[in-house]
Amino acid sequence: MLILGIETAVEHVGVALGDHRGTLATATVNSDRRHAESLAPMIEFVCAHAGMTLRQLDAVAVDVGPGLFTGLRVGIAAAQSLAWALDIPVVPMCSLDVLAQQAARTEDDVVAAALDARRGEMYWAVYKPGDGRMMRLTEPVVTPPDDCAIHLAERDQYVTCVGSGFVRHHDSFEALTRTTMRADQATWPSIDDLLVLAGQQAAREEWVEAHMLEPLYLRVPDAEINWATREGR
Amino acid sequence: MIDARTTHVEQTEELAAALAALVRPRDIIVLSGEMGAGKTAFVRGFATGMGVSSDETVSSPTFTLVHTYDTGKLVIHHADLYRLGRLSDVEDLGLRELADLGDVVVIEWGNVAEEVLGDHLVVSLEVDDDEEDTRHVVVSVVGHTWDSRWEQLKRALAKWGN
Repeated sequence: MLILGIETAVEHVGVALGDHRGTLATATVNSDRRHAESLAPMIEFVCAHAGMTLRQLDAVAVDVGPGLFTGLRVGIAAAQSLAWALDIPVVPMCSLDVLAQQAARTEDDVVAAALDARRGEMYWAVYKPGDGRMMRLTEPVVTPPDDCAIHLAERDQYVTCVGSGFVRHHDSFEALTRTTMRADQATWPSIDDLLVLAGQQAAREEWVEAHMLEPLYLRVPDAEINWATREGR
Repeated sequence: MIDARTTHVEQTEELAAALAALVRPRDIIVLSGEMGAGKTAFVRGFATGMGVSSDETVSSPTFTLVHTYDTGKLVIHHADLYRLGRLSDVEDLGLRELADLGDVVVIEWGNVAEEVLGDHLVVSLEVDDDEEDTRHVVVSVVGHTWDSRWEQLKRALAKWGN
């Protein structure tokens, strides 16, 4: 099964093409918010160098967040367009699952994955390794780092922490004695890990039709705008 | 709160340009006021004041939701929430993130979604009851990002003082 992976949830853009043999081609650009300009040429690049055409794709996998709004919508729109045009499913990937995946090969301990969410907050979730993949112990949330620190302290387990959230807010976690910061690990979700996870999810048919794809923003308050308070409308 | 008064639309544009001179990257400016109060005229003057080329047409993004202008030094996003129904639609535009990342964001009808916009400046434009070309312009602030600029802003807008 040939899968195209798209990663635009953070400052860089990643694209990879792979099948049962593993990764065939991959490209990463530190885009400085040029997600829209970078993405299409990168997709062309990986297809050309893997000797594949888009028509051969069986699925598109895309990071749906949580992460940068400005990046997510570029990746999600591209994945939806490709999936719709090629009549193939989309595999929605969670940025924190991908971030945690890097620890699946090396860790026995519980793993916390966090991305910086700006405004003094972070996106985070907690995982335990098993079966070569990371199983979620908590669902992704956006909170101040102190809330995560309290949660980890209360778990009272050895926890390995990965991701830009812990790098940015390391002060909040210094008092925790059973927590290890893995600054040597990748701080962003990697496109290679995304493709590996996408292969596993696709094998379980954890995919959706293009129009069903939803971003995972976490911050969205779903209230109606009170236009009644406006005069003149 | 700063109270000002303009007697024709060109003055509203001049006032906006004077305000623009004090704007910094990451600022969010919310415009309130009914249809025809001069919100888009304000943005036109504001864009000129920020250095947007006069070749660029500043029009209301009522249907396109966001227009983006690049001055070469700074990127300005001009949004209009009038056609949006839910706060999640506002969040979908990612306006606060654009400001977080260093751009300037001006939002017509932004006052209906204040709770999701964080710190910002509010410019409210109101048509005078008797003089149809006269506008009462009230500038207020949410948060502390304007604390150090407030006195300067007062002086900059003094010539239109009530």
